[in-house]
Amino acid sequence: MDVLRRAWAIVWKDLLIEARTKQSFNAMVFFAALVLFIFSFALGPDTELLRRVSGGLLWVGIAFTGILSLSRTYQSEETSGGIEGLRMYPGDVRAIFLGKLLGNVVLLLSVEAVLFPAAAILFQIEMWPHALELAGIALLGTVGFSIVGTFYAALTVNLRAREVMLPLLLFPALVPVLLGAVNATTLVVVGDVMQDTGIWLRLLSAFDVIFFVICIWIFPIALEE
Amino acid sequence: MSVSAKSKPAALLGLVALAVLLAGSVVGLFVVPADAAQGDVQRLMYVHVPAAWLAFLSFFVVFLMSVLYLIQRDLRWDRVAASSAEIGVVFTVLTLALGSMWGKPTWGVWWTWDPRLTTTAIMLAIYVGYLAIRSFADDPEKRARWAAIVGIIGFANVPIVYLSVIWWRTLHQPPSSPRSVAPEILWTLMLNLAAFTLVYIYLMMRRIRLARLEGKLEERVAYHG
Amino acid sequence: MERGTTLALVGPNGAGKTTLLKCLATLLRPSGGEGRVCGFSLREDADAIRERTGLLTVRGYVYDELTAEENLWFTARMARLGLSRESLRAELERVGLDRAADQRVRTFSTGMRKRLVLAQLRIRPLELALLDEPYAGLDTQGMALVDEYVREFRAAGTTVILASHQAGEATRTAERTAVLRGGKLEFADHDRAAATHLSAHSLGAQNR
Repeated sequence: MDVLRRAWAIVWKDLLIEARTKQSFNAMVFFAALVLFIFSFALGPDTELLRRVSGGLLWVGIAFTGILSLSRTYQSEETSGGIEGLRMYPGDVRAIFLGKLLGNVVLLLSVEAVLFPAAAILFQIEMWPHALELAGIALLGTVGFSIVGTFYAALTVNLRAREVMLPLLLFPALVPVLLGAVNATTLVVVGDVMQDTGIWLRLLSAFDVIFFVICIWIFPIALEE
Repeated sequence: MSVSAKSKPAALLGLVALAVLLAGSVVGLFVVPADAAQGDVQRLMYVHVPAAWLAFLSFFVVFLMSVLYLIQRDLRWDRVAASSAEIGVVFTVLTLALGSMWGKPTWGVWWTWDPRLTTTAIMLAIYVGYLAIRSFADDPEKRARWAAIVGIIGFANVPIVYLSVIWWRTLHQPPSSPRSVAPEILWTLMLNLAAFTLVYIYLMMRRIRLARLEGKLEERVAYHG
Repeated sequence: MERGTTLALVGPNGAGKTTLLKCLATLLRPSGGEGRVCGFSLREDADAIRERTGLLTVRGYVYDELTAEENLWFTARMARLGLSRESLRAELERVGLDRAADQRVRTFSTGMRKRLVLAQLRIRPLELALLDEPYAGLDTQGMALVDEYVREFRAAGTTVILASHQAGEATRTAERTAVLRGGKLEFADHDRAAATHLSAHSLGAQNR
């Protein structure tokens, strides 16, 4: 389908630019690692405590980093004349949303690929046996984060106080994602036989589907001039 | 366009609302007996519960009006939405404050992560975001469009947030069992609920009329420059 | 305007030429009134207009970190054109960028960027070409290239609107002239000399 091809062109462009400048990726990894470090110091050397809160810390790091990169989603457009450039092409503008969404997901996932192992080392968690489950949680959580993030980033792209508005709008929307991701991760890592990650995975999946439909539907209105 | 003619029904409603409010307060404070377990503090419920109910009702109105606006692009709906949001914020803050005030003597803490309270706090954040984004657009249509988007997505999120927090809490502690409610308490609650609803309608009438005048002023300024 | 004609849109800086062009390109929404472009309504059929209209701006919409060819490929993809790499390279050759085809645009001079933007416009089958200050930053060779392209557009039946604050440049290749000043548009339907005269008088003589 035509929308998919154009979305793919956008993903290709954004990832190519990112691969060449490595601007966002490096900054994101550093920042997230910094967050994890600071939390480790703040919480002290109690390894048992760190293990139990590792899920939360990890996702806090990912969330902060994610918000950092979101405002830059459309930055590459800004240096090339603004998002007008993309809007000028015929066809459904939803291709822009899809393209940007996929680009964000890929970028954030690649940062997490570094972050999860880093957390495993810092907090002394055994991640490898649960790698598949953690990957699944990371995927669902990242997609959920990116859906609302990409959408609100588009809405606030031309605002003067974008750096304030984006987190303000994003935070309430992210509560289910963070709750789901943090709890699921913690359950996997700490290994609680009484409880079930299934409920959180269902929450994340439902959130992803519901908000994907809503956001992609409303997207053209968000971009209207 | 006569200014005073419109305010007669509103003024009448205002008086009625005030009367019912007074009745509700008197009954709640003096007539109905205090709760056996909690004592007089429980009387706060007569204000807290209606406030919460109205906070959510206001938000629902915002949602409804936002959808209507996006479909019909009639600024009237936007004015109703904005008015409801402003009034809703007041009810939301009231709910939180009262909940907090009730919590301290009852449980000894200013804040608990009770699902309803937490969801209300997040709803406040969404409200604030809604009102904030309105302040960034000078063009009434753009403002209405952005606000409508935030309103719709925000509202869609509320039930999901509520469910997430319930799961989060119940997995950590058993849910508090609902006690059976004595009929006098129920009646007093209904009375105050009616009072608050009348107050809401009265405030809405006033605020919408003000919004309409503001809109006319904006048009005039835009036209004449 | 008649299809296939070339119009020079002149006016002082800030008169709103760019705004007008952007409205026609459906990038900006008019605050009032109705407009039809290529037979389609601005309000209702914006997408059909976008399919047939191309806008050339001063900076152009190119990505610094991509090469010329990659930028062109992106444009082709987004405009749903099934063009092969060879035809893209051929186009780059025609604008004189064949040797720089694999260089990143960040290394380009203004003139080179302009040529790339021209190529972006050229590969699309347009009914209406909107050129905003096409001569800005170009040397004589570049300006001749723009003139040539305008002539080609005309030969292909494409309507062209050329906006410029330098009246002389724009009216060189145009058949008609319109002056935008103080929010009002005045058409001048006569030969070039008179048009230049009219423009010069309206704007005060503009020196390079």
